[in-house]
Amino acid sequence: MVANDYTHKEFISNYIAQRLQDYDHIFVGANLPVPRTGALLAHFTHAPNMKVSIGLVRANLLNERELEPHKFSTDYRMQRWAEAITVHDNVFEKIRDTITVFFIGGIQVDKFGNTNLIGIGKDYKHLDFRGPGTLGTLSCSYYCDRYYIFVESHSRRLFVDKCDFISVFGHGEGGDHRQRLGLARYNAGPECVITPLCIMDFEPETKRARLKSVHPWSSVDEVVENTGFKLIIPEQVPVTEGPTNEALETIRSRIDLEGLLQ
Amino acid sequence: MKKPERTSVLGTEEHALAMIEDGMTIAIGGFNTASHPMTLVRGIIRKGVRNLTVIGSTIAGLEIDMLIGAGCVKKVVSSSVTGEAAAPIGPFFRMMAEKGEIEVWESDEGILYAMLRAASQGLPFMPWKAGVGTSLPEVNPDLKLFEDPFTGEPLLAVKAMKPEICILHVQQSDDYGLGQHEGSGFGDRALHWAADKTIIQVEKIVPNEEIRKDPLKTSIAYADMVVRASFGAHPFSSPGYYLVDEKHLAEYVEAAEAARKGNWKPWDKYLQYYIMEPKDHIEYLERVGSRQLFSLYEY
Repeated sequence: MVANDYTHKEFISNYIAQRLQDYDHIFVGANLPVPRTGALLAHFTHAPNMKVSIGLVRANLLNERELEPHKFSTDYRMQRWAEAITVHDNVFEKIRDTITVFFIGGIQVDKFGNTNLIGIGKDYKHLDFRGPGTLGTLSCSYYCDRYYIFVESHSRRLFVDKCDFISVFGHGEGGDHRQRLGLARYNAGPECVITPLCIMDFEPETKRARLKSVHPWSSVDEVVENTGFKLIIPEQVPVTEGPTNEALETIRSRIDLEGLLQ
Repeated sequence: MKKPERTSVLGTEEHALAMIEDGMTIAIGGFNTASHPMTLVRGIIRKGVRNLTVIGSTIAGLEIDMLIGAGCVKKVVSSSVTGEAAAPIGPFFRMMAEKGEIEVWESDEGILYAMLRAASQGLPFMPWKAGVGTSLPEVNPDLKLFEDPFTGEPLLAVKAMKPEICILHVQQSDDYGLGQHEGSGFGDRALHWAADKTIIQVEKIVPNEEIRKDPLKTSIAYADMVVRASFGAHPFSSPGYYLVDEKHLAEYVEAAEAARKGNWKPWDKYLQYYIMEPKDHIEYLERVGSRQLFSLYEY
């Protein structure tokens, strides 16, 4: 049965879980509780053979009744679940052995799904805001089968016409730009953008961002109001599908024990 | 004739620091909030080394931030400088990069490992695909686009950068430099292979026969020097030994954040109290206090 007492974060975790498939290889970090919950929910409900890397620990967690969260992805207590340990530099010898589905963030996201973690400003030597840096997002999003842009806010400052700097290439300047640069060997660009208000995907021809669905608490107008580029709005915009009672129960009793999604 | 004897590579903090000079390129191991060689990092600050090019782990932690705050760093080579939940962006890294007072070798983890692999293999560069089409080659002169000679497809050439010295925190070693990590050892091996020389600081020194019990576990074979440093990764975690000292990290981050906003007093106080005044690692640990240190165990 479809639930109605979810929090926004639980709702989005569930959306993420529904995107994940059995046998996906996924890396679960410590400090993004929403994607962490999404991945583990998928594992517990419909992806029993998911290859989970939790920190640098590789594990199948089906038999773990509860998964206590860890504050730091380097926390070695996760080793209690390990059936293998990843030596970090080995990940980058063959990324697809560890990661086939990936989530990236950004301090800017543009209309072609390019993202920026470098910084904001016109002059690289004197940035207005120095971002966290590219982490592993660039290499992992190139090599995986599917990747998703996941952001925790939705504003005109974040969704811009053109990123000041591009740290991960989405569709570049649109159309077949990704193919022309030889970047479509493993995937054809971001699957969708998951925001606190809506889901965006990319129009197949132009590769411009298009509104796919709005979350039940938001509206097309609110999305347009808070998006700094011209979003393609189809005639019919469905409401994003929500979690079942069973999914919520799994989240609360086995994954989000500290109530980080409340 | 005298029987030939094997030579120990055991050294002191002083011996290790004598190898580190102004202007060097130095790789610093650990990852994020774990296993940074803090005894030596604090030693570098105390010694007043300047103009370093620091190659952090592919995701560097606040050890690099601390070195920036103490004025030791000219250039940072890492995909990120972060304390995760403790500080998503290193405060000094952010401030000095925004002011243009440090150079940043903009990269991602895959590109950084490609760079280290080129250095290990004595190649001028390593090709890498991801990064084509992004701003990285525009802001990092060591990344250049070139054509695949076979297909004509655009690729990125990642120029090698050889660390002169690599410093690592490893859990145990014998006195011949056979280091064994607990846990994964993160990307420490890649830094070690790329570097000319490696110094490891260790939680404990064990006899050679202890190493030979499980030789497959030897992750850093034949370090050039071994320095004893129990609790040497503090305030970061050391797998199997102690967890992150969140209280101490918060103290650091608060001081660094205040400096970023223009008030340098808390940072000066931190710097003097924890780094400049203690004459060595043991005096540092005394200032942190045994009650605090022994509260960091898993159970």
